[in-house]
Amino acid sequence: MKTSLALIALLLPGAALAQDAQLDPVAPMAEYKLYVAEHTQELVADTRAFTEAVKAGDIDKAKSLFAPTRLHYEMIEPVAELFSDLDVSIDSRADDHEGAEQDPGFTGFHRIEYALWEKNSTEGMAPVADKLMADVEDLAGRIEGLTFPPQVVVGGAAVLMEEVAATKISGEEDRYSHTDLWDFRGNFDGARKIVELFRPHVEDQDFLATVDTNFARVDETLEKYREGEGYQTYDKLTDEDRRVLAAAVNTLAEDLATLRGRVGLD
Amino acid sequence: MTDSHAPRSMTPMLVGAGALAVAGLVAFAWAARTNAPQPVDGALQVAVTETACAPMALTVPAGPASFVIRNDSSRPLEWEILDGVMVVAERENIAPGFTATLTERLKPGTYQITCGLLSNPRGTLTVTATAASEAARTAPPLAEFIGPLSEMQVRLIQAGAALERDAKGLADAIAAGDLGAARTAYATARADWARLGTATARASDLVNRMSPTAAMLAGREGDPGFTGFHRIEYGLWSQGSTEGLEPVARSLAEDAGALRTRLREITLAPADIAGDAARLARHLAEGQVRQGVNLYSGQDAAEFAAALDGLAGAAQVLSPLVTAAAPEAAARVQAEIDRTRTAIDAMTADPSPAARDRVAHGFTALAGALDALNPALGLET
Repeated sequence: MKTSLALIALLLPGAALAQDAQLDPVAPMAEYKLYVAEHTQELVADTRAFTEAVKAGDIDKAKSLFAPTRLHYEMIEPVAELFSDLDVSIDSRADDHEGAEQDPGFTGFHRIEYALWEKNSTEGMAPVADKLMADVEDLAGRIEGLTFPPQVVVGGAAVLMEEVAATKISGEEDRYSHTDLWDFRGNFDGARKIVELFRPHVEDQDFLATVDTNFARVDETLEKYREGEGYQTYDKLTDEDRRVLAAAVNTLAEDLATLRGRVGLD
Repeated sequence: MTDSHAPRSMTPMLVGAGALAVAGLVAFAWAARTNAPQPVDGALQVAVTETACAPMALTVPAGPASFVIRNDSSRPLEWEILDGVMVVAERENIAPGFTATLTERLKPGTYQITCGLLSNPRGTLTVTATAASEAARTAPPLAEFIGPLSEMQVRLIQAGAALERDAKGLADAIAAGDLGAARTAYATARADWARLGTATARASDLVNRMSPTAAMLAGREGDPGFTGFHRIEYGLWSQGSTEGLEPVARSLAEDAGALRTRLREITLAPADIAGDAARLARHLAEGQVRQGVNLYSGQDAAEFAAALDGLAGAAQVLSPLVTAAAPEAAARVQAEIDRTRTAIDAMTADPSPAARDRVAHGFTALAGALDALNPALGLET
């Protein structure tokens, strides 16, 4: 038996290599890219509707499309933010720029958010909307052509949770519209997708149970604030729920930081 | 740094959440300290001030490297290592006055480092080659193939989904009795099929139903085994009608669905990417290109162009590794792809034997160039 197996291995080096546990991440990485591709398509379609509403001066419609459009961006953020130039032009906040809201480099979703909620106007937003649409299409093209770097993508789930834990939890991301809970939903779903895909290759069941518990806690908390298709504004979040959310996210950030190593990608 | 604990970026509406955010940062800084991979010896120190990194230029040998980043500015800091516009590694949200450690395995090359505000100049990180990194360049470790293998699988699954969709479209056009639309739909679905050429050899049972040629069957066009693409092509072109083709097209669409499922389950080994591509190129050169594939419609140029797209995709997936290991091998593959494409573009609807010869020579030369890739990557073939 041993001899015949060895013989097969000699005749089919490919087949022998394919069994190597080091290649376990291949299938989950492929599935993850298919997931990202699906949401990128939705992001492109939704951004088109959003930017058209902005250009048409339809403030109410633009406001109603802002959060649902961003949801897809937040889901694919571990990949989207790998393109540093587009991450800035699509998703930077005013305080990433020296001149804050007045800085000409402040573009993208949050620039339009500022106009819609703070100014209740779309004045001067047509070129910003055109640029956002072009940037999102550019992003879609780059994602399609990108061979996902496994270490960075799996590490990205943790980076995203760290970002939620450290800054997003303050409500800084959607500071004009307070639609942060939608973004959280996207970030959690995007991070959880990575965990789900790699789950079969994680040995430590206690680790998985803890991660599941914290994701469930996040779900329960977010569910309390569900309103229609989406969520209430962030200022409705009680201090107690904010504490629950913060604790769950901190633990998730801490736990997911070890995922890369657990699936052999360190 | 007298103001390092007075973040000026906090907008008034965030003040209520400010205390929590700081608590979050502290908790996170603690978590990061306890969970980060162990820093390697000789960690590099880099401080980020309001306007720059100190120092602005870093040099490390290839392999695992640790960076201890100290935030000497007044804003939460995100520190990134960039390769062009791509983020290679990053530490998010280092609070003012805090330090964080980033440990990452780096390949030789010149990278940029970010230094706070977007308008601040970027520093440089030079990663120098070592004996180990040189060895890994010409014989990449198995883990280096995770990216290319998964990308190859993604492309096949997406092409399979396109085939399933377009085969349904073909069946619908036939059901509607629209000959013109059915002919267009045939061409679209057939191109999807050709693009999958590197993988269909792994599903011979489906291939025998989806694309048998009359020449292989005892009863030729009248044989009950004459099903799939060419049966439909025969009807649409030779008989000029959609009549009786709907069940054939529905079966084809069903098989396309089965093929898509099969593609999700294929496990490719590193050597299969170039190996399957070389095999297909040779197969095309030795048979289909000279004998013709779409005998009734004469649409061979589109078929070979799509097959070439599939081969180019395989080469592209391996390109980063091959370019690092053996740039001349990568360049030769690209040159043969270009030459073959030119020969295909010159094919007419009823190509001369000489025109077919030129395309066949192109695929043969491409197969030879693809054969060189696995040895260049230290893979046994």
